[in-house]
Amino acid sequence: MSDTHAPRKDLPGHDLAAAPGRSRMALDRFLTFGAVVVLFAVFSITAKNFFTMRNILSLALQTSTTTLMGIGVTFTIITAGIDLSIGSVVALTGTVAVMAAIAGVPIWISWLVGLAVGMVCGLANGLLITRLKLPPFIATLGMTFVVRGVALTITNANARPAPDAFGALGNNTIFRTGNQFPGISYPVIIMILVAVLFHFVLRRTRVGRYTYAVGSNEEAARLSGIKVSRIKIINYIICATLAGLVGVILASRMVTSQPNSAIGYELNAIASAVIGGTSLMGGVGTVGGTVIGSFIIGILTVGLTMQGTNYFMQQIVIGLVVLGAVAFDQLRNK
Amino acid sequence: MKKLLFILVALAFIAGFASAQEIAVIVKTGNSSFWQNVQTGCFDAQKELKAKTPKLSVTFLGPQSESNVAEEINIVESAIDRGVKAIVLAPSDVTALVPAVKKAKDAGIPVVVIDSLLTGPTSNYVSFLATDNDAAGRACAKELIARVKAATGGDTGKIAVMSYVAGVGSEIGRVGGFKDYIAKNSHLQVVTTQYSNADMPTALNQTTNVLASNPDLVGIFGANEPTAVGMGRAIAQAGLSGKIVAIGFDGNAALQNFVKDGTLQAIAVQSSYNMGFLGVKTAYDAAFAKKQVPAKVDTGFIIVTKDNIDTPAAKNVLY
Repeated sequence: MSDTHAPRKDLPGHDLAAAPGRSRMALDRFLTFGAVVVLFAVFSITAKNFFTMRNILSLALQTSTTTLMGIGVTFTIITAGIDLSIGSVVALTGTVAVMAAIAGVPIWISWLVGLAVGMVCGLANGLLITRLKLPPFIATLGMTFVVRGVALTITNANARPAPDAFGALGNNTIFRTGNQFPGISYPVIIMILVAVLFHFVLRRTRVGRYTYAVGSNEEAARLSGIKVSRIKIINYIICATLAGLVGVILASRMVTSQPNSAIGYELNAIASAVIGGTSLMGGVGTVGGTVIGSFIIGILTVGLTMQGTNYFMQQIVIGLVVLGAVAFDQLRNK
Repeated sequence: MKKLLFILVALAFIAGFASAQEIAVIVKTGNSSFWQNVQTGCFDAQKELKAKTPKLSVTFLGPQSESNVAEEINIVESAIDRGVKAIVLAPSDVTALVPAVKKAKDAGIPVVVIDSLLTGPTSNYVSFLATDNDAAGRACAKELIARVKAATGGDTGKIAVMSYVAGVGSEIGRVGGFKDYIAKNSHLQVVTTQYSNADMPTALNQTTNVLASNPDLVGIFGANEPTAVGMGRAIAQAGLSGKIVAIGFDGNAALQNFVKDGTLQAIAVQSSYNMGFLGVKTAYDAAFAKKQVPAKVDTGFIIVTKDNIDTPAAKNVLY
């Protein structure tokens, strides 16, 4: 996807030197965060019960899965790649985790089994891209079918109810104080921990810096001794493992596995990353931006529903917001 | 995609599926227990008919998801190209499949339409087998009104409709019939209609939001299997089981549990098995026995509640 020969104005990179880049990123963040505040204020006025503690927590729970997928796909997009197999991986990992639990594996291990399946899918994506030299779009598109097919085959397409204890991860809360404060759901806590962790990985570790370098100019990265293939594989593993986490969380929330669910979820994840300022050309993007991007979509979806907006209009509004956010970004980058 | 289809068709040839005695069953998607139940019916019919035509083979095909209309068209066209004897089709769109069905008719292949409505001249296909979705939607509305009356003593208040894919034939009939009956026979007001695209987590989120913004909701209708499961889960998680009248559609294990624990008061269960079984038999009659087949067949539905869930009549349709 990246044109490795074209000289890029913004090299030597946003990550290493680039003081102006950083301050512009701060401005970007401020503007997108402003959009969140404005949306929140509007719906608080127009939608009944929107601005209540219970609903804010519910909103965070509903958005957490998109956020987690978004963080994962941000890593692949920064390397100028993409992962289209996320929705299928979500379905397969949830399905396998539920089957493991039904088979009598201790519940917490069944959750880890789901994560492990995600990890394997990510490794497969990474190998297809680095060893067979398939374009990420094609490699992960192919995997979309393969992974979905596996999920359908092993379940014969049936939804399976999970043991009750399986539902703990998706439905339990902490800090619950009776009726005043309904508690923060585990998926929200997980989302916060994952966001902090991967913000740190991207900003402060070698893997993170190399990720930006590979996406900015793959050839230059290779020549400066970065093991490009290894970085890419790590990124696809991060992405699919987070998709696996989402698969387990959703199956837990439903206390059911649905092998034909989550079709098209990758598009919400990609939209979150792009609204948050991640460039599909590679080299640019932050975890914080993606978190904000996913909450813009989440607030819009929940707010428009609660406001009673016609469902078809909701689709138009959300589409226009995605287009507007990216157009705004493009114009400012001129 | 074309290439992939080509390979699949080629494989089918090698496997001998496409011998001249094939009845192709093409459904909206292979991916749900509802359609699996249709498949069971198809293969049971095949078993029975093999006594008369030993070389008969029934193939069961469908796209990845219910909204993938273009892929379903491709599957129909490739069935025509390989010269199947008859097609049993569950169209995922009321109009988009019309040209493909016309093409089959012109090629002399009788088409039996199941489950969902298809527009265009009815002469394009030999028979239409379905749950009368309009009647089933009305029956759900009637059940909901009766239960709201029993709970509140009146027939006023807000209700919500949790639908699945906007604009497919079964949805138009089912949700249309539901809303029409509500409007004509009660003072209940439909405050919102949501579409889950038949995705369970989406239905869960949507129902959570509708319940949060309408604390005075008296009733809710979930119009297909994954949607009703997500809706039931949201009601249970909001602690509203039994406090709100909830009617679901279709009858997998999760929905049966919701009926038993009182989260859903009733589910309307279609005989999906019958659609497959009678669909293949009707196609056989038209293509092999060259018989005149009835233009319209109602495959039936039953309202399942806590009281009748263990009766043989209900057990027959549940899956």
